[in-house]
Amino acid sequence: MPKDLETLTREKKVETDFQSSEVWAKVAGKAVYGIDLILPGMLYGKILRSPHPHARIKSIDTSAAESISGVRTVITAENFSCKPYGIVVDDELPLACGRVRYIGDEVAAVAAVDWKTAEEAAKAIKVEYEVLPSVFKPEEALAEGSPQLHEDFPGNVAWQRDLERGDADAAFGDADLVVESAFSIPAIHAAYLEPIACVAVNDNYTGLTLHTALQSPDSVRTIVAKVLEMPLSRVRVVGPVMGGGFGGKVYGNLNLYIISSMLAIKTGSPVKMLLTREEEFIAGRPMIAAEIKLKMALCRDGTILARESDIITDNGAYSAQAPWVSKTISERNDSVYRIPNIKTRVRLVYTNKVPTGQYRSYGNQAANFATESLIDMAAKKLGIDPLQLRLLNCTRKGDLTVHGLQIKSCALADCLQAAADEIGWEKKIRGRGYGLSAAIHANGSIVFDKNFRGASALARLELDGRVTIFTGEQDYGQGAHTAFTIIAARALGLPPGLVTIQSRDTLISPFSLGALAMRQTTIGGRAVQLAAEKLREKIEITAVEAGSESTGLREGAVNGSSANLIDLAALARYYHGKTSGLNLVGEGKYVPEESDYDESGYGNISVTYSFAAHAAEVEIDRTTGELTLHRIVAVHDSGRIINLLSAIGQVYGGVTQGLGMSCYEGYLFEAGRVANSTFADYKIPTSLDVPVIDYQFVERGDPEGPYGSKGLGEIVMVPVLGAIANAVADAAGDWVTDLPITAEKIYQLMAGWECE
Amino acid sequence: MSYLKALNLRQAVALLRGNPGRIRVVAGATDLSLQEMPQVALDITALPETTGLETADGFFSLGAALTHSEIANSHPVRHKATALTEACASIGSPQIRNVGTLGGNVINAAPAADAAVALVALGAGAVMINLEGKTREEAVEDLYAGFNQTIIDSGSEIMLKLVIRPCAANEGSSFERFASRKALALPMVNGAARVEVVDGFFRSVRLVLAPINPAPTRLLNLEEKLQGAPVTEETYKKIETEAAAEVEVRASLLRCTAQYRSHLIGVLAARVVRKAAERALERK
Ligand SMILES: Cc1cc2nc3c(=O)[nH]c(=O)nc-3n(C[C@H](O)[C@H](O)[C@H](O)COP(=O)(O)OP(=O)(O)OC[C@H]3O[C@@H](n4cnc5c(N)ncnc54)[C@H](O)[C@@H]3O)c2cc1C
Repeated sequence: MPKDLETLTREKKVETDFQSSEVWAKVAGKAVYGIDLILPGMLYGKILRSPHPHARIKSIDTSAAESISGVRTVITAENFSCKPYGIVVDDELPLACGRVRYIGDEVAAVAAVDWKTAEEAAKAIKVEYEVLPSVFKPEEALAEGSPQLHEDFPGNVAWQRDLERGDADAAFGDADLVVESAFSIPAIHAAYLEPIACVAVNDNYTGLTLHTALQSPDSVRTIVAKVLEMPLSRVRVVGPVMGGGFGGKVYGNLNLYIISSMLAIKTGSPVKMLLTREEEFIAGRPMIAAEIKLKMALCRDGTILARESDIITDNGAYSAQAPWVSKTISERNDSVYRIPNIKTRVRLVYTNKVPTGQYRSYGNQAANFATESLIDMAAKKLGIDPLQLRLLNCTRKGDLTVHGLQIKSCALADCLQAAADEIGWEKKIRGRGYGLSAAIHANGSIVFDKNFRGASALARLELDGRVTIFTGEQDYGQGAHTAFTIIAARALGLPPGLVTIQSRDTLISPFSLGALAMRQTTIGGRAVQLAAEKLREKIEITAVEAGSESTGLREGAVNGSSANLIDLAALARYYHGKTSGLNLVGEGKYVPEESDYDESGYGNISVTYSFAAHAAEVEIDRTTGELTLHRIVAVHDSGRIINLLSAIGQVYGGVTQGLGMSCYEGYLFEAGRVANSTFADYKIPTSLDVPVIDYQFVERGDPEGPYGSKGLGEIVMVPVLGAIANAVADAAGDWVTDLPITAEKIYQLMAGWECE
Repeated sequence: MSYLKALNLRQAVALLRGNPGRIRVVAGATDLSLQEMPQVALDITALPETTGLETADGFFSLGAALTHSEIANSHPVRHKATALTEACASIGSPQIRNVGTLGGNVINAAPAADAAVALVALGAGAVMINLEGKTREEAVEDLYAGFNQTIIDSGSEIMLKLVIRPCAANEGSSFERFASRKALALPMVNGAARVEVVDGFFRSVRLVLAPINPAPTRLLNLEEKLQGAPVTEETYKKIETEAAAEVEVRASLLRCTAQYRSHLIGVLAARVVRKAAERALERK
């Protein structure tokens, strides 16, 4: 049973054990998720998807579908302008305009009185296709004469970047050792339990409302408004509880929101749509697959001189967030160590497959697998202990990294040492493999939109003496609201039980960038802190003004029960009366300093950075290659931990997902068709597959984050991949360089088989 | 669809007779509900004849509607038909094991159905009753008629029970599987063996592996060669190389390459025979 707040307060355990009430609603099965929503008069929408990886649409005949009883409307590309839109690159359309580019591409949609009729009607739409040649491999897509996916992107390159810092060529010339290897990472689905679902409601008076759980509701409504050519203030997102997001619901499935909105506009009724699990896999936005070629130059003593990477990311048919993911893959790991010279080429390439997006940490974890494997390969060649090689080169507090990141706090070296100590680096058990890995991750971005770098929040004193915090930052299970509650309570000097967080309605919450890139606690939390401090200040001033003798706020006494404490309810009513209806409000805006970020992408990109080191201990059955994971040790520098229970939860979940990506998961394709589009075939770890996970937090604080805290939600997944890869290599004698690391691949490696 | 739960065998047979062409026997429905439920589903999980677990005339008689959990938790079965316990305990997840049945596992005839592999290795027989109320018994290994097909017509026949001769003091059995995760994963390879050991030599070996053919596959050549072979490391080595050589396997994009599967067949064949022999020796 959860302890109530009073008990936690008495035991002084609020900051470790408190959880927001939503958590308990979930545990009790009482939370209402998007997929549960039912509104009066609601219709159900279904999408007809392309059966071909690449084809021209010759004709669409909707008459048979329209004549089915119970069908309210059928829409096609004709209901939209054929102007592509996008998050980063404009290449997507809500419904295909004359051409489909992957199996699952949206062709038409229907709204009907129930699911069955909607499905039937979607099937009754007749589409004539002229099949076009398709291309599934990025290397082939790049080749001359290959089928072209988008007129606006010749050569099938959606986005690319060539980057040089220092003089890598010279450094490679001077090096004592050059190590190189190629790595391959498949597309990965965020595999949240609740498939994406929404209910769109449109009425002429209030405009469009989307009931859907999003990590970044304001970003989504901005795009939806633009595509539907509606004023932004007429598009509102109201969020039910989210059944898992893990980065996959930052933008969710934009086409689904736009299509359901159009169906709602056309019918005048609420329209519910959702992706089935199969649709999640074939038409969701998994994280891009990547082919990473790496080369690193070192001195004999282990000093890293330079790194060169050539990266091709497999975009699928449309780009979504893939350019950002490609950028993170190509860049973030360069700042884990002091690498003075960098040469990078990254190309995001179209293929006739499922469009891609992002997953917890924007590809940092994919790159960690490659870069950290290469560190150990170098250590082996140089005969240097992998821990020592890392300690020699790792980024430290006060550094300005090769890409211009300003490291204001960093306990990476301590994390590495602690992870090694805890896993037993100096007393390894014979026959087992041990691996280490290190990571850095940004806390939100101050360069994503240079004019919108931070966050804001509002703290309002209610007439009953309670406080409501309005924020646009989202809790989707990671505990952001628990953290905000604690932060606000601390700033106000009130018990957390008096604080309520309100974030689920874009009409009343401040505009925000949302839950991505580890922004919530650090950026959003700082705004909450500032808002609460402002409110406190106002309360104190108003108390004086009201002639109150008592001026203090303190935990547990809000109703004036103690002589020198302010009666908050009385004060709220006083102000309310005096102003004929206003509440005392504290506005908090956290506006980080502008960055020196330049055209080449050099400069500080975030207010601060989190660090981590993980260690893995594994064992391999030499007759089959079967891998037993004994333990993962996760040591994190996330500044001061605001709520221990949430932090531990993040570590368990993130490590498990890292393990899934390391050893189990990955899209499989057969001629452009997703071959594993169910949870039976797309294997995520079960509870039996999860090893012992030990956590440690090195709490050194941070000058930027609220109360010295930094982000944790994404970085928890990052170092797992390198740690497991290196532990497997330690046991097997060589590296598996393509994910997932399966028993078969380990065995092939040990048996010296040529792959089939 | 109508769903009928028969309370006694006579009623069940009468319902089958009365609904030709539209009725089908259902047990846990873990397979059937993923395929297509019949117009009339006849639930046979409440019959005394399909749910008993007893020893009669020196044989285990296991009701076809016993769940994998019930089998896995049975002491006598664990003691004297260990391979079946191990197989049933490895299926799916606790939820699946709590409803999926022994009979369903055989009749659904998936090529690597875990319980079926163990049953064939143990030399189990199956007893069916038809519309006339007549029973017949067939060896489980003779029930297969093709991919996902048996010779049992679940529209006009009910499998009542499976019969197994318990292992004697000088016998042992074992089952093992190899899958990509620890639960909820169909095996890349599974295998089971039943052996009889006399004075340090194999008197008889039944060795079954899957998925190779639509039915659990006995390695008949190897079984024969092992008759009279000594219980030694060399013999296990020989099993490993010869098991893989005796059969041809297919690759599967979702599971593994043919080369690896073939290797696993050798490894698992040797492992189950070894484990079964150890049990035979332990018991004495
Ligand atoms: C998630 C999941 C995981 C699974 N994992 C595994 C696994 O790891 N290993 C494995 O081997 N299987 C697995 N299965 C398959 C399945 O659970 C088993 O095959 C199970 O034993 C089937 O039994 P049932 O009672 O559910 O059969 P049902 O679905 O009820 O019936 C299956 C077939 O047998 C017929 N039938 C059933 N009982 C009788 C009877 N007494 N007489 C005549 N006909 C009958 C039915 O008509 C039907 O054709 C899994 C299934 C699921 C859904």
